[in-house]
Amino acid sequence: MMMMSKYQHLYVVIEHEDGKPVPVSLEMLGEARRLMDGFNKRYSSDEKVVAVVLGDNVRKLCEELIFYGADAVIYADSPELRYRRNLIDTKVISQIARSADLAAKFSDGSEFVKPRYMFFAADSIGRHLSSTVLAELESGLASDINKLVIEDLEIKHEHKTKGQTMKYEKTLEMYRPDFSGFLWTTILCLDNRNPAIEREYHPQACSIIPGVFVPIERQVSRRGVIVDYVPKFDEHDLKVKILDRKIVKSVVDFDSHKAIVSFGKGVKDSPEQDIKLVAELAKEIEAEVGISLPISKKPFPVSQGIDSTYMIPDRVIGTSGRKVAPLLYIAVGISGAMQHIAGMKESGFVVAINQDENSPIRDECDIFIRGRMEDVIPLLLEELRKQRPTIEVKK
Amino acid sequence: LTINNLNVAVIVKLEPDFSEGNVSYNADGTLNRAETKSILGPHSAIASNAAFYAKVKYGARVAVSTMGPPIAETALQQAQLLCDADELHLYSDRIFAGADTLATAEVLKAGIYKVEGGKVDIVFSGHRASDGETGQTGPQTAWKLGYTFLGNVIDYDVDLQSRLVRAKRLISLQGFYDIIEEVEAPLPVFISVDPSYKALFSTVSQRLAFEKYQKEAKARAENYKQYLKVLNTQQLDINPKLVGLPGSPTIVYKVERIPKAKTSRKAEVVDGTDHEQLARVTAMMYEVLGGMVIK
Repeated sequence: MMMMSKYQHLYVVIEHEDGKPVPVSLEMLGEARRLMDGFNKRYSSDEKVVAVVLGDNVRKLCEELIFYGADAVIYADSPELRYRRNLIDTKVISQIARSADLAAKFSDGSEFVKPRYMFFAADSIGRHLSSTVLAELESGLASDINKLVIEDLEIKHEHKTKGQTMKYEKTLEMYRPDFSGFLWTTILCLDNRNPAIEREYHPQACSIIPGVFVPIERQVSRRGVIVDYVPKFDEHDLKVKILDRKIVKSVVDFDSHKAIVSFGKGVKDSPEQDIKLVAELAKEIEAEVGISLPISKKPFPVSQGIDSTYMIPDRVIGTSGRKVAPLLYIAVGISGAMQHIAGMKESGFVVAINQDENSPIRDECDIFIRGRMEDVIPLLLEELRKQRPTIEVKK
Repeated sequence: LTINNLNVAVIVKLEPDFSEGNVSYNADGTLNRAETKSILGPHSAIASNAAFYAKVKYGARVAVSTMGPPIAETALQQAQLLCDADELHLYSDRIFAGADTLATAEVLKAGIYKVEGGKVDIVFSGHRASDGETGQTGPQTAWKLGYTFLGNVIDYDVDLQSRLVRAKRLISLQGFYDIIEEVEAPLPVFISVDPSYKALFSTVSQRLAFEKYQKEAKARAENYKQYLKVLNTQQLDINPKLVGLPGSPTIVYKVERIPKAKTSRKAEVVDGTDHEQLARVTAMMYEVLGGMVIK
């Protein structure tokens, strides 16, 4: 019999809207399944993928989560948990993460202290929830991850190991693209083994970028354990009240447009005029306008109208924004950082307008128009108007 | 001392200036930190605006706090100009360096306890930093303080009598609609301000107060050192094991260039001044758009 670890299993915190899972939840489960299958084979163990669900009337969702790869689902069902409230959610999830009794429902929980790994979504809810849960569990958290590997690593670190080389088994390598889209930083959450600051940090946790990982195929033959947890609420915590919830439609609509025209930092020389040109091009072909991430950080001054219409986070295409797949994608002055490409590579036909033939976008398009957008777009507009199809509908 | 008083604090960060002409990139597209100057981060500026709203509307006392090396006081000065801060706090100690979000939150928590004798009703932070971009430090500080965390806040008001905050939050879920949620919470709260936040001053008296405090802010920021307190580990009563590198669960293990993904396309390069070629590209574009109905 092998020794049980204090830290076991991979807990995935599921997000849903009234029982309907948000896509990233199934994506996280898929990646968790793949990782733990590899883990169990490699270490001859039987650690579980455990989905954690808070909500009101979510039993049905729990069954779905098993079809999508969970070995076990721990759920807390209460009208108080219908909508997300950080304070209560953090307490309930932390109670679940610390419960050996719950872990005993699907494994030998005798040594269980906390999960080995933990996943959250890197979105409006999960970003904050992961932060507060890991503050409560007093462990490390990496955000916006798009690649995960489990490895045994030799670590030599001034603080963690006091400069000694030590082996850290079953370490989760959490890869995070940086803001430029060109660098990948690998974050590790490691125990302090230096006697002066000795401390264990578990779970190793991260938030995962939506749209990156692929769910596993839904299989109704998959079996798992569903565990009902009755949370303890503190009266005071229930004083945080949700008074109203309104669904808002974004002014940006990528989905119902056949074409998207996006611009990036290439507009820097005369941003006001260039963005107007891009908008004119978009209007001509009834396209929606997209931007690359750096534009949403408002790197140059433009008029208020242009700023509030175009340089807004809602328009960002890429890993930090939306994933799109129009029939026609025109990238104007976009260099082609990995993060942007990830958001548009499924497009049908891709045209790039760029001065620099060496920019990475050249490898991601079907037509690369070399030139200054100030010269190219007016010529394109002229041609578009000349060739514009007639209204005549052919049968 | 009346029951109607309000104390607020803003947590800010000095960040590389990503605006055009100030940011400098290496040949490989990565940020050249040595050549890029630092300023008050744009999200920190938005948080400062939210604090200024409390000053104008409720006459709140405002403190601005940051953790960083001595140079970070420029962020405090820039924030003071935005929110007419009554106090500026710099938490600075060599041992704070290299901290991850959890260890940073430990310092900020200790710091907020030193503001107004620990009687801060609302702490504001930005949505995320432009350099680190984790968005974790705010909520982790809130949790350590024991304050209710309200994220993505686009609007808020305070009822000074009942000591309740009402806030609107903008929630975006992948593949779903966006939601604006209105919440109510007892003070104290920690608010992380959404990038789309805009303070609105609707009444004449608010606009007058706005002008008065703006003038005051300008004068104060010119003499910001008078308002500045620098606090180290000892003055903050911090356990050194919980901050800096020793207090950070996470480390950066490696940094590498993201390998180029396999490309599925092979581009034809077209000269952008050649009318004939552009005519051909235009025809291709109309072809892929196919059944597009042109009005």
